Amino acid sequence: MDLVLNEFTEVILGVFTIALLGGATAYLLSFSARRFQSDTDSVVGDINRLLPQTQCAQCGFPGCLPYAEAIVTGEAINLCPPGGQDTVKALANLLGREPLPLENDTQHEAATIARIRESECIGCTLCLPACPVDAIIGAPQRLHSVIEQHCTGCDLCLEPCPVDCIDMIQVTEASAQDIVGTVMLAEESLKQDVSTTECIGCDLCELRCPRDLAPQALYWERKSIDRLEAIGLNDCIECQLCDKVCPSQLPLTQIFTDAKALSRQRKTEFAEAERLKRRHQKHQARELTRTQNLRSRPSKSDRSAILQSLTKQHKDAAEMRSGK
Amino acid sequence: MPDFIQAPLIILFSTIFINNFVMVQFLGLCPFMGASQKFESAIGMAAATTFVLTIASAASYLVETYLLVPLNLEYLRIITFIVIIASLVQFAEMVIKSTQPLLHQVLGIFIPLITTNCAVLGVALLNVRQAHSFYESVIFGFGAALGFSIILIMFASMRERLESANIPLPFQGAAIHMITAGLISLGFMGFTGMD
Repeated sequence: MDLVLNEFTEVILGVFTIALLGGATAYLLSFSARRFQSDTDSVVGDINRLLPQTQCAQCGFPGCLPYAEAIVTGEAINLCPPGGQDTVKALANLLGREPLPLENDTQHEAATIARIRESECIGCTLCLPACPVDAIIGAPQRLHSVIEQHCTGCDLCLEPCPVDCIDMIQVTEASAQDIVGTVMLAEESLKQDVSTTECIGCDLCELRCPRDLAPQALYWERKSIDRLEAIGLNDCIECQLCDKVCPSQLPLTQIFTDAKALSRQRKTEFAEAERLKRRHQKHQARELTRTQNLRSRPSKSDRSAILQSLTKQHKDAAEMRSGK
Repeated sequence: MPDFIQAPLIILFSTIFINNFVMVQFLGLCPFMGASQKFESAIGMAAATTFVLTIASAASYLVETYLLVPLNLEYLRIITFIVIIASLVQFAEMVIKSTQPLLHQVLGIFIPLITTNCAVLGVALLNVRQAHSFYESVIFGFGAALGFSIILIMFASMRERLESANIPLPFQGAAIHMITAGLISLGFMGFTGMD
């Protein structure tokens, strides 16, 4: 009986010890959770939830969460243009601060929106993922456009654009500029010859080319005859098939014809230069042998020796003749 | 050299090289394989493990000596140590999160993962088995963590190079990692018997 009691107390002791240990660590953890998880975190979270999460950095901070953290440490609450006055009000309610009018930072005197210069857009879709509010519509190799109601003017689409065809325009002038811009564009497009439109990289010409050339690549490199020759300019038979399929109506064959003429001209010039160079080299070689021959002429003493031997021979011959 | 300097040095050297936890005792293999894809994450994991291992070996020694032994509860050692380690890891994560948010961002998921690192429990149990004193326990834990860190960082750098190496198809992926780990282990076996 005693033994059983002993066993029993031992088990009870073990259970209590583990329970106590668990309780102590649990208490320590909950205490430290309260102690270390200071309330700034929850306030930052609340502020962050009120911000529009466009991560546009117009407030001067790298994103919405850093701005929320800065607000906790005393930064002004009216620096968020995408959020607008509503966000300022909500923040003022949350923090018990005065709802100030929205501050426009120095870079943007007035609210701006993005506008794509459509004649220059190459349909690369690089600006689509950059837009935090999905205000740009477009598809690969199709024209992109900005939905102006949604655009917050954050500038983030400017950087990824490879052809710099996005402008930031002021909202107040947007409508006026819209009309003026359209008229100007129309006038321009009338004045412009077709060659000012851009290659959209559609590959159609490449598929069509009977000589398996890449007319679009040739078009991109049209400024450098060297590179054009390297990618097969002179294989072009000027069949004009690429002109017919080009959706931008680029005068491809004309460009290639001109480039080939230039290339030919360069070739004849090069051949002429080569000929002149060879002639000059031959001339140099002749000059060299001539001067070398000059240097190897007999010296004065040698010459007198030769003269003496010659006179001697002559005299001997004369004597031999007279002796006969 | 005086003994109070020599003894810890011997423990350090022994845990780092001769009885390396990963390569000789095969403890903590899951983070060794799991957290070594990238050099940066390996360094994060190594730092977090070093912190936890050192603290955990000290805490487990205290609990063993002042709680379990006086109460004759040595049979509850493993479960007690697991509780201690788990709560320590949680505690460490909280402290790091509130005081060093940047470090917390770097270590991220690795801190809770250490709870399941068998090397941590292994160090605590080995401390008991080898009857270390308090200081010896701390140094043993620290040395084990250093050994783990060296191996982890070394293996991560190797894996980054293996990524770009021209490996025959049948050996690609986990196979070459196992082979590499085996070769490192063979190398560390060379330390065995040093005193």
